[in-house]
Amino acid sequence: MTTDLDFEADELAMLRQLFRDEAHDALEAVTRRILAAGSAAPPPDALAEMMRVTHTLKGAAGTVGLAAMVELTHRLESAFAAVGRDPASWTPGTADLVVEITDGLHGFVDRLVAGEPPESAAAALRAQIARIADVPPERPSQIFMAVTEPLPERQSGTMEIAIPTIVEAGIPEPLVDLPSAGSLVESRTQTIPGEASRYLRVEPERIDDLMSSAGELLFDRTRIERRVQLLRTLSRDLARTRQNLRDAIGPTGGHRLAEAEGELAGQAALLSQTTAALLDEIEALRRTIGELQRGLTRIRMDTARNLFLHAARTLRALRRATGVVVELRTLGEDTEFDKSVAEQLVDPITQLLRNAVAHGIEPATERTARGKPEVATVTIRARQDGNLLVLELSDDGRGVDVVTLRDRLVATGRWSSVRAQLASDADVLDALGTGVSIRGDADELAGRGIGLDVVRQTVAKLGGEVKVSSVPGRGTTFSMRLPLSTSLAHAMLFKVGGQVYAIPAVHVVDTTLVEPGATTTVVRHEQLPVLRLEALLGNGATGERRPGVVVSFAGKSLVGTVDKIVGPREIIIKPLGPLLAPLTLFAAATISGSGKVQLILDPAQLVRRAYPDAPHESLGEMSSSPMVLAGRALVVDDSRAIREAMTSMLGREGWIVDVAEDGVRALQMTRQLRYDLVVTDLEMPELGGFELIERLRTDDRFKATPIIVITSRANPDSRRRARELGVRALVAKPITRRKLLEALASRETVA
Amino acid sequence: MPELRNVIVFAIGAARYAIELRWVREVVTLGFVTTVPTAPPVLGGLCNLHGAILPVLDVAVLVDLPAGPAARQGDGALVLEADSTTCALRVDQVDHVASLLETGGSVVDASGRPLTLLDPVRMVRRALELLGAPA
Repeated sequence: MTTDLDFEADELAMLRQLFRDEAHDALEAVTRRILAAGSAAPPPDALAEMMRVTHTLKGAAGTVGLAAMVELTHRLESAFAAVGRDPASWTPGTADLVVEITDGLHGFVDRLVAGEPPESAAAALRAQIARIADVPPERPSQIFMAVTEPLPERQSGTMEIAIPTIVEAGIPEPLVDLPSAGSLVESRTQTIPGEASRYLRVEPERIDDLMSSAGELLFDRTRIERRVQLLRTLSRDLARTRQNLRDAIGPTGGHRLAEAEGELAGQAALLSQTTAALLDEIEALRRTIGELQRGLTRIRMDTARNLFLHAARTLRALRRATGVVVELRTLGEDTEFDKSVAEQLVDPITQLLRNAVAHGIEPATERTARGKPEVATVTIRARQDGNLLVLELSDDGRGVDVVTLRDRLVATGRWSSVRAQLASDADVLDALGTGVSIRGDADELAGRGIGLDVVRQTVAKLGGEVKVSSVPGRGTTFSMRLPLSTSLAHAMLFKVGGQVYAIPAVHVVDTTLVEPGATTTVVRHEQLPVLRLEALLGNGATGERRPGVVVSFAGKSLVGTVDKIVGPREIIIKPLGPLLAPLTLFAAATISGSGKVQLILDPAQLVRRAYPDAPHESLGEMSSSPMVLAGRALVVDDSRAIREAMTSMLGREGWIVDVAEDGVRALQMTRQLRYDLVVTDLEMPELGGFELIERLRTDDRFKATPIIVITSRANPDSRRRARELGVRALVAKPITRRKLLEALASRETVA
Repeated sequence: MPELRNVIVFAIGAARYAIELRWVREVVTLGFVTTVPTAPPVLGGLCNLHGAILPVLDVAVLVDLPAGPAARQGDGALVLEADSTTCALRVDQVDHVASLLETGGSVVDASGRPLTLLDPVRMVRRALELLGAPA
């Protein structure tokens, strides 16, 4: 397939990555138009655009030699053309079908570019496309001839499609603001390989790394600031000492003493000036860091459009599941916010939509009786308010009965009657979802109490809050206010004395085990001091071998002993506030997924405690290891080539990798060390992969450890066994970086 | 001239206190309380309040009494905002909201029982002093 192409292998690989991105954009563009039209046939201009996008995609697929994609896009284009010839052939089911096809093509492209030959998937898609419209069968040779057909010229004025107004059931759409949507779509779909582009495609990870470094700068600044504050105190003390000295010398004191006192005065003044100047410079640094972060944040901005598309999809799925028809109105789709925020908002939006469908919206008969339109409307509105993103989701359903909710809060003992009396209606509504539900029964779609808890937690984790307002009989509005971006940092998390703590990942270079009572330990041929964190942070109970975190700061390293290593995480840094500033051991805090506050230790302070005799100045020179630690992984495989390949791939992701050639050796190693990840082959001499996993799972330390299985025999039987053993992912050989990354990203057991 | 104050009356153990309502931002039930090792007893711990870090203080320590029970999840707390600082006070019970007449520095409630009227600004400054002192 690739032999007659004019690319070097690596160049082709790069081009295919570009094609993949482009294909996702193009498929999204098609989906948008389908969703914009509701269940009705897309209007002619939308159909023309769908054809154009598909056509462009076909050309690009040919360029990078992906024949399977050329064929499918060609069929899709023909199907769209057939719809254009006979709009009456479009049924309400066709819209769903096309969305299913584009969804399927997303996955297809990913697999195709990753190098898998997805023949069965292609056949399934081919069959689905054939159901769109009757397309005359074509011989393969015609496929490429079709590419040379001139494109239907389309003027930019024909892009006025009410994309944000996604209307279900063919209800006439109210038009909303969307001045630049067309041009945006245009610029995205026209970026094809080989064509000069004004845009630079950058892997998101690279930007994440930069963001992480910028986040680190914040830590550094805080440390410098603290040191300068110390200088300031010192300068004041010096002035006082000078005054004391002067008093002691008195008017009759010796000439030389007085001279020295005069010099001291001059030096004290200089110190004071320098400190003041330093503070100014720190302020300048603060501004620059702020600009840097804002600049980086802008790069990562996403618009609300994708979130709205997701909402439209969710409502479609809900309609299929429940039969409840809801019209979706969206406002402010050009509102920009951080991609990571957008990703995290997907679940809350889904949950709120489910709530609306399950609880908020009355049955059609009830609505008619109340004089409301039979079809309910959910409005999602995004807007920016200063540094905050405000996302409001309103339904025009039955609303929440505040009186009942207030009674319920007191009746369930969650609130005292005084508190209930003090609380405004808004406060009472805000209590919704903190364990209190307005309905006793929670159906499978949405138990309102629990669901809202999740929404609140997610939003709180992003540093925002959720407010609820409601007018009985008229509807409910959930208003989420959250920062437009989050400053994510990589950190190593561990447990001491029952609490979880974090250390910035750039300062954690390794993990190890420390013998009981040891005051030093050897890590990579270097003798390092042991800092007993269980004594510093916990109750000091010890007497057994403990895991240790190897912390490095300013060229000095130490091993901090902990109860348990939790592993690397991405965290959002929260300032501790003025009251806690004197507690120098802690640099900041973060909030866990379950809403608990977790403290971030300042590595500089740990080094200071581990090296009590070292002059403090030397700690001022910053040096940080560029390696970001993801944890320690064990790779078990009898093929040396695969062990090498895995070591290299995992190493690039920041993992520290140990290898074992069979299950027996692996078991020995797991007795010595705890691993954050185990990657194992299935067929091995001595002890096979499943047997190894079985034994590991009986060990408390490896009960929940992520395990990835690499295999050449991914049959239903091995899949079932993997599921029973809680394996995260099955990766088919040959292993690619992409497959590995996907496997690493999976958070659940294999399906 | 005696001054009329709107206060919230609350109890911690046997002691009863009042704080002017204008300082009270919220009455909350504490979520998980993270203890802060190395911190003096005045700091009961840290809580997550709408995504921000909320220090929970021990009123007893602030008024120079022996430290009260540790703050725990599910305890009641008053969230105060004073001296550009937000913090929480752990309380056993929030009694009622009242208008009190202050005469000559001593405050009594409707039934004539004495109350300690707390000044949040001074409390925050005292907390900062205690936290800054070497442990």
